Amino acid sequence: MASHPAAEEDTELRQFLIGIGRGATGALLFGLPMLMTMELWQLGFYIERDRLLLLVLVNFPLLVALAHSVGFEKTYTLSQACRDAMIAYGLGILMSAIILLLFGDLKLTMPLSEVVGKIAIQAVAASIGALLGRSQLADQSGSGDATDDNDVKGEGAVKDQMSGNYGQELFLMAVGALFLNLNVAPTEEIILISYKMTAWHALVTIVASIAIMHAFVYAVSFKGTHQAPADTPWWHILVRFTLPGYIVAMAVSICVLWLFGRLDDKAITQMLMSSVVLSFPGAIGAAAARLIL
Amino acid sequence: MASRSSIEGRQGHWVEWATGGLSALLVLAMVGVIAWEALTDKRTPPELDVRLTSRFQVADGYRVTFDISNRSTTTAASVVVRGEILDGGEALEAVDVTFDYVPAESKSSGAILFSQDPGSRDVRIRALGYTDP
Repeated sequence: MASHPAAEEDTELRQFLIGIGRGATGALLFGLPMLMTMELWQLGFYIERDRLLLLVLVNFPLLVALAHSVGFEKTYTLSQACRDAMIAYGLGILMSAIILLLFGDLKLTMPLSEVVGKIAIQAVAASIGALLGRSQLADQSGSGDATDDNDVKGEGAVKDQMSGNYGQELFLMAVGALFLNLNVAPTEEIILISYKMTAWHALVTIVASIAIMHAFVYAVSFKGTHQAPADTPWWHILVRFTLPGYIVAMAVSICVLWLFGRLDDKAITQMLMSSVVLSFPGAIGAAAARLIL
Repeated sequence: MASRSSIEGRQGHWVEWATGGLSALLVLAMVGVIAWEALTDKRTPPELDVRLTSRFQVADGYRVTFDISNRSTTTAASVVVRGEILDGGEALEAVDVTFDYVPAESKSSGAILFSQDPGSRDVRIRALGYTDP
C-alpha cells in the first residue's frame, strides 16, 4: 500500500466527495419542505435576533452529538465528530442559499440582515438533513468490519454505559421531534388548530400522541438492534421510553414555539395548547427517529 | 449502533426509572391542568378591550399605539379595529387595522396611523368585529 500513496489518496478523495454529495442530497431531502414554506422566509426577517443567534449556536453541539451517534464515517473522536458537524453545517448553509436564490426569495437588493436571517433559519434543518443524508444514504457494504469491531466493544461496555446509551436514545428522540417540529411549527396552522381545539380535544390529543408513540416504540423493541426479551412487560417500556420520549418531544416543541415567537404574550393555557398540538407530530418524529436512526 | 442492542431488554438502570417516573408526573400534571380547564371553563364569547398605550408624531402623520386584550376563554380571529379622531361626535378621520388573532386570555398590540395630529380632539379606538377561528 505504501508504494501507491497517490492511488490511495485518490480513493480517499473520491470517498470524501461522495460523502459531500450524499450530504447535499440529504440537505435537499430534509430541507425542501421548509425551504418552500412562506412563513419561514418571513421569520427570516422578523425573528428576534437573540433567539436566532441561540438557534444557530445550539445547532452546532446538536450536530456534533448527532454526528457522534449516526455519523457516516464511524466517528470515534470528538474532533472527527466536530469536523463532520462543521461540514454538514456548511453544506446546510450552502444548499439553503442556493435553493432560496433559485426560488427568487433572495435578491441582491435585500438588506444583509434579511438575507442572513433567511439562510440561517433554513440551515438548521438542512444541516441536520446533510448529516443524516451522509449516514442514511451511505451503502452499508464494506463497513462490516467496523460494525463487528463495534459489536465486540459494545457488548463489553453495555453494563457500564447503561445510562449513557439511555441518554443517547433520548437525544435521538429529541432530534426526531425537532426535525418534524421545524417543518410544521412556523406554519400558521399550528396556532389555528390550537385555537380551534377545546381542552377536551387537547386531552385526547395527548393520549393519542402517547399511544401512537408507544406503538412505534413497542414495535421497535422487538426489531433489529433493539432485541427485547418477549417477557418484558409493556408498561416497563412505557415508563422507561415512551413517557420520557413524550416529555422530550413536548420540551422541544415549547423551545421551537418560543424561538419562532409563537408563545409571546400568550396566556399559559394557550401556550400549553399549542405545545400539545406541536407535540403530536413531535412525538411521532421522536418515535420514528428510534426506528430509522 | 450495536452498543444500543437490547437496551429495552435490561431491567433498566435506576436513572431510566427515575426519568420515567418524573416524565409520568409531568404528563399527569399537564393532563391535570388541561382537564381542570376542560371541566371548569365555560366557553364565553371573546371580550375585547382596547387600551391606548402611546401617541406621537411620525414623519407624515400621527401614530397611536394600543393593546387589545381578550379576557374570555375563546380566541377571536380577523379582529377589525377602527381608530377615529372625533370632533364633537363626528368622525374626522377613521382608520382600520385587522388582527389575525387575539388569543384567549392574551393580548396583542398594534398601531393606528392617522394622517393628521388629533391635537386636543378625542381619539377613539374600538373593535368592530371578529370571526370564530
